[in-house]
Amino acid sequence: MTFVPATLLPLTVAIPMVFCAVLLATAHLLPSRVPDILALLAALAVAILSAVIAVQAADKPLVYWFGGWEPRDGVHLGIGFSVDAASGWIAAFIGLLYALTFVFAWGFFDRTHGHFHILMLLFLAAMVGFCFTRDMFNLFVWFEVMSVAAFALTAYHLAESSLAGAINFTVVNSLAGFLMLGGIGLIYAQTGTLDFDGIAAAVAQGGRSPVVAGAFCLVAAALMIKGAIVPFQFWLADAHAVAPSPVSVIFSGSMVSLGLFGLAKVSAVVFGGSDQVQGALPALLIGLGSVTALLGGWMALLQRHLKRMLAFSTISHAGIMLTGLGALSAGGTGGMLVYVVGHGLVKGALFMIAGILLATQASIDEIALRGLGRRIWPAGIAMALAGFLLCGLPLGALDQGTRLVQGALSQQGHGIALAATAIGAALTGAAVLRAAGRIFLGLGPDPGDEAGAPSADEREKANRPLWLMLAPCCILLAVDIVLPPDLIAHALPRAVSAFTHRPETGPLGEGPGWLPWFSVAAALAGAGYGLFRKRLPPVLVRPVHVTQSAPTRALEILHSGLIGDYAAWLAVGVAVIAAVLAMV
Amino acid sequence: MSPRIRVALLALSALILLPCAAQVIAGLPAFGSTIAQYGARINAITPEARHVANMVSAINFDLRGLDTLGEEFMLLAAITGTVVLLRGRRGEGMTGRAMHRPGRAVIPRSEATVLACRIAGPLTAVFGLYVVVHATVTPGGGFQGGVILASGTLLIYLGEGYTGWRDAIRSHWLDVLEGGGALLFALCGLVPMLTGAAFMQNVLPLGTFRDLFSGGLMLVENLGVAMAVTGGFTQLFLEFMEETREAEEPDEPGEESA
Repeated sequence: MTFVPATLLPLTVAIPMVFCAVLLATAHLLPSRVPDILALLAALAVAILSAVIAVQAADKPLVYWFGGWEPRDGVHLGIGFSVDAASGWIAAFIGLLYALTFVFAWGFFDRTHGHFHILMLLFLAAMVGFCFTRDMFNLFVWFEVMSVAAFALTAYHLAESSLAGAINFTVVNSLAGFLMLGGIGLIYAQTGTLDFDGIAAAVAQGGRSPVVAGAFCLVAAALMIKGAIVPFQFWLADAHAVAPSPVSVIFSGSMVSLGLFGLAKVSAVVFGGSDQVQGALPALLIGLGSVTALLGGWMALLQRHLKRMLAFSTISHAGIMLTGLGALSAGGTGGMLVYVVGHGLVKGALFMIAGILLATQASIDEIALRGLGRRIWPAGIAMALAGFLLCGLPLGALDQGTRLVQGALSQQGHGIALAATAIGAALTGAAVLRAAGRIFLGLGPDPGDEAGAPSADEREKANRPLWLMLAPCCILLAVDIVLPPDLIAHALPRAVSAFTHRPETGPLGEGPGWLPWFSVAAALAGAGYGLFRKRLPPVLVRPVHVTQSAPTRALEILHSGLIGDYAAWLAVGVAVIAAVLAMV
Repeated sequence: MSPRIRVALLALSALILLPCAAQVIAGLPAFGSTIAQYGARINAITPEARHVANMVSAINFDLRGLDTLGEEFMLLAAITGTVVLLRGRRGEGMTGRAMHRPGRAVIPRSEATVLACRIAGPLTAVFGLYVVVHATVTPGGGFQGGVILASGTLLIYLGEGYTGWRDAIRSHWLDVLEGGGALLFALCGLVPMLTGAAFMQNVLPLGTFRDLFSGGLMLVENLGVAMAVTGGFTQLFLEFMEETREAEEPDEPGEESA
């Protein structure tokens, strides 16, 4: 090939932007399906371009300087993109997720002047820019574009619940923006540059400095807010539960994990030379990650609102990703990167199924939907499969990521974190399998009066045939299953070394083979308990009932939906990060 | 949580955060002690390399043009989001009259107001254009000028009343202006790539230092930003003004918003 692949780099961001500007300028003239087609084409173009770039970046990261401002005499003047293989593949995955979401949402947003597509395309451009940039302030710009687009998309239904969820989301994530900007200001004051490599060099030279630690504290808090890590996680369930289903697919599939992806990059590259930060990371990330994995899973099990259940499951999986990151090893980071893709594919599929239920059965309440899914049984098969994959069925990319994360944790002897990843996955899997059993097989007791959902009536437009909604969902699951594990295992060590700017290590170790099976068995047991509790002997039921009701109630009280509470917990979270940094 | 627990939590975290913050602030370089290497280098290079006197424009539209492109589209997202939120429930009727508060007298607009607006309106527009085109020479630029231009349109509302404003301002045209401006900015990035240069590389003739025509591509980018900001802000004004429109029929929630 004659072209230089690095010249393609800006296109991945520019293409969705150009499509978005054209859509805005001409939407009132375009026939109704054209925005759908244009958005789909843009997303596919981003996916393909990113994949090409990722392939080209396999040997050496591609670097691109915007405006031709290359560094002069070691001073970074302009903004650069730096793409390693891992970042490229993540961007390609995001492009694919968007393309399938546009198919899923085909015709869903009629008569809206393409506003949905405009916001989604900007969301896409921001995510790709976030993956590729090597400049702190530019990272912040994409972080903010992501947030702004996401706020509006959350409130799209304009119902009372969606506006409330969007407000919580907006306030918490705007606070994240302030924290991040403050952190960037600190690191710029200390190092005099914004380029990742420039900062890294200055940080490594500077020795221990409270300013660097403070900058990391603020930036990490901001990214963990995006990544929905306890105690920053509250906004997520409120926002994901009320956003339109196609938007929830993107939120859970990519936005949340992208926050952690950013954290991985920033902590490995930018703050890689700070002993204080590196010393604090394992305790901080593994501790918070384990708590997040358990709390998210437990809360997921308590929900009857399907999308809220899936949202808490996302929190749990974000915690698992964070523990992988906290292992600070090639295996942990590599596992986390694979996990991001695998989880995004499976969780995206699950939110699509929730959308199918909203459209065809006009409800999102697990109890009210009991047995109503029989007519759309293919969706039930997909949901059961996704549930099994979620809890660790040894198949596909999600499983590979899980095993790499668990391998890294067990190598370093983090037994509690290892157990937390297995139990967290089992809990969310149990929640999904229980819902699948109840909705599609009609299992569980007849709800009687309880069938009336406590939440407001919800439904989404039923203007699409089932196959059109089910096809992208099945493609997501299929991609997760057919991603070749050998190729990934082969390419991963080098990709991780390029991603973290650390020398390559040998093949990455995997966790014990029985652990995923344990998660599957525990998930089945949990789902069975949830469905057949009334038929079990009281000897089994009573101890569970007695021990879990108090903590459960406490957890439910914590998730109050009040923004003041969330802000207070946010402050606690920042204080925790600061305290861990101060103790190193 | 009760407010008391909430405050207690905050106080607890402040107990940890305040000493840390004090330590960080103490560790910062003293005020004015150093000029960052980055800033010093940019000040040294840019006037010669880009023939630009307004360093802020040089940073915004050339050195860190990608950030500005991102910010421009962030503005676009924010405005689109506002339109979704406000228009979604209200619908898009055109013929409505402004709402009148029952019981409050409608005082006719005084001729002095009309005259003042008709004089100030065009002047504001000219000043806005001036700020836009002098981006590379004097403080200001596409964003500031665009906001001035947009606020000029508000004088139509003040001087001609709701109906006059609605006749003059068409939402679709604002969309075209906003989208077209953003597109122009994005194309300023892409077109240089056709010549083999980098994205948003300044390939146009740079012009004369301290002249209106200096800075090359920056002038075009400024124009794009000015268009987008004018269109976007006027769109915002329109949506907020429409909140005062008299409802014609009971609104149909959910129909517009899928």
